[in-house]
Amino acid sequence: MSEPDGSSTREIRTDYLARVEGEGAMLVRIKGDEVEEVQFKIFEPPRFFEALLRGRQFTEAPDITARICGICPIAYIASSCNAMEAVCGVELPEQVRLLRRLVYCGEWIESHVLHTAMLHAPDFLGYDGAVELARDRRDLVELALRLKKAGNTIMDVVGGRAVHPVNLRVGGMYRAPTRAELAALVPELEWARDAAVEFTRWVAGFDFPDFEQDYAFVALRQPGEYAIERGRIVSSTGLDIDVSEYEEHFTETHVERSNALHSTLAGVGNYLVGPLARYALNSAELSPLAREIAAEVGLGAVERNPFRSIVVRAVETVYAADEALRIIAQYVPPEQPFVETVPRAGTGHGCTEAPRGICWHRYEIDDEGTILDAKIVPPTSQNQKTIEEDLVGVVKASLHLSDDELGHRCEQTIRNYDPCISCATHFLRLEVERT
Amino acid sequence: MRAAACLGSRYRGDDAVGPLVADRLRAAGATVLECDDEPTRLLDAWAGLDLVVIVDAVSSGAAAGTVHRVDPGDGPLPRDLGLASTHAFSVPDALELGRALGRAPRRVLVIGVEGAAFGMGDPVTAEVEAALDGVAESVLGELREGASDA
Repeated sequence: MSEPDGSSTREIRTDYLARVEGEGAMLVRIKGDEVEEVQFKIFEPPRFFEALLRGRQFTEAPDITARICGICPIAYIASSCNAMEAVCGVELPEQVRLLRRLVYCGEWIESHVLHTAMLHAPDFLGYDGAVELARDRRDLVELALRLKKAGNTIMDVVGGRAVHPVNLRVGGMYRAPTRAELAALVPELEWARDAAVEFTRWVAGFDFPDFEQDYAFVALRQPGEYAIERGRIVSSTGLDIDVSEYEEHFTETHVERSNALHSTLAGVGNYLVGPLARYALNSAELSPLAREIAAEVGLGAVERNPFRSIVVRAVETVYAADEALRIIAQYVPPEQPFVETVPRAGTGHGCTEAPRGICWHRYEIDDEGTILDAKIVPPTSQNQKTIEEDLVGVVKASLHLSDDELGHRCEQTIRNYDPCISCATHFLRLEVERT
Repeated sequence: MRAAACLGSRYRGDDAVGPLVADRLRAAGATVLECDDEPTRLLDAWAGLDLVVIVDAVSSGAAAGTVHRVDPGDGPLPRDLGLASTHAFSVPDALELGRALGRAPRRVLVIGVEGAAFGMGDPVTAEVEAALDGVAESVLGELREGASDA
């Protein structure tokens, strides 16, 4: 590809977006030095799972929604459980809640390490992918795989298995692990915590494009902890609401070119969920070790460079290992692993912090526990509009790059969001055009 | 030891080939490695095995229900089959990563079933459904064949 001369009309097309969970498409159209159009497209028969849930029993929602994503099943299980427990008036005993938080820590570790080390790091190092990285830096890939496996093991032990965990249910767990079972995780988690610190230092040393956006951040907040499995929805623009009030403030608009819905926050517009938002709104709640490493690698109170989200994910991996160890250290097996949950007619809401950002659910059920209506807003669809705005900014700042380089930079920009497109899409193509 | 690795999602039309064949293989007592969206999980499961038969939906443009058998030898898995599942890290990538790290099985075979519909909520097409029993038999044959070598 030749260097653009500034007066020509450029078209870049890429029909497949690699190293994104699921498949995605992007279109960038540039005329001369002007960015005419940017689309981050999603094609998917929308809301299939919502239709599938109608008529099912309220107790089935966790297992069904867990199938939406093989990378973050706990997010769907936890959000749907929270919603069903809310409608039925059930509150989890503390140790049961902490087990849910513990298994969620496992998911954060696994998902974050998969994305940062295997999918996103190659962007910064000039490799085509993790295979090429592994040939040069086997030590780093081995470290990442072992770290990822530590998260996987939590999901195995607490969740029953790592692939589509089966031990979680509305009202708690089918079986609570013994103290000995959790204690057996400690040595590897201690290694994982130290390894995650090293890993954070490694990714923080990458060269980051000089790019910042003035984001509206949205995340859960729970005083006293870095919110994961519970909390109120807050924003950097002053929002502070119960999860049941979400639809009063957030609107989904159908986008003609795609089956996805763009989310906007009333009075604000597009917003950002995920690691940068959590860090901006809740970094004071990180563990001392996670705060220490964040400071050491140069993260301030707020990080607005989306390319540095890889660093925040690494810090959150340190936190998840640290938090898992804290939960295990204080663990006392609950007398009963679940609260018996009797259905009652009503509407319940649940929201938790999936690795990619808040995953919001609403269910209406009847007195028999039959699901009458369901709505699921996954994190990637909430970020979709913001991803497009990032692309506009990145393309404007990168017009001097060749078409190949610009296409790669755009893909890297999308991967900043760890977009779990399978949450919102299936087959989708990538196009970058300069005309 | 020999095992099948069955990939795919029951909720994505013909992408359900892997799980549906897995049901049949388990019923016949075969070892099945579980993996739906995340093939890097295979790295620990298949390291050191004598043979892994990968069962997945493919999309190469052939007629729905066409069964492809690919023996890549020491080479990479073919990408033109478009192994159809929505994997974050593709199966060919997982095999190459495993080889780079010394965590690959000694031999890999792919048995792919050409799919036609991969949308969420799509039913399995009749052509693919009709191929499933035969595919399961083929996989069992591969797993049995030369078992004394294992």
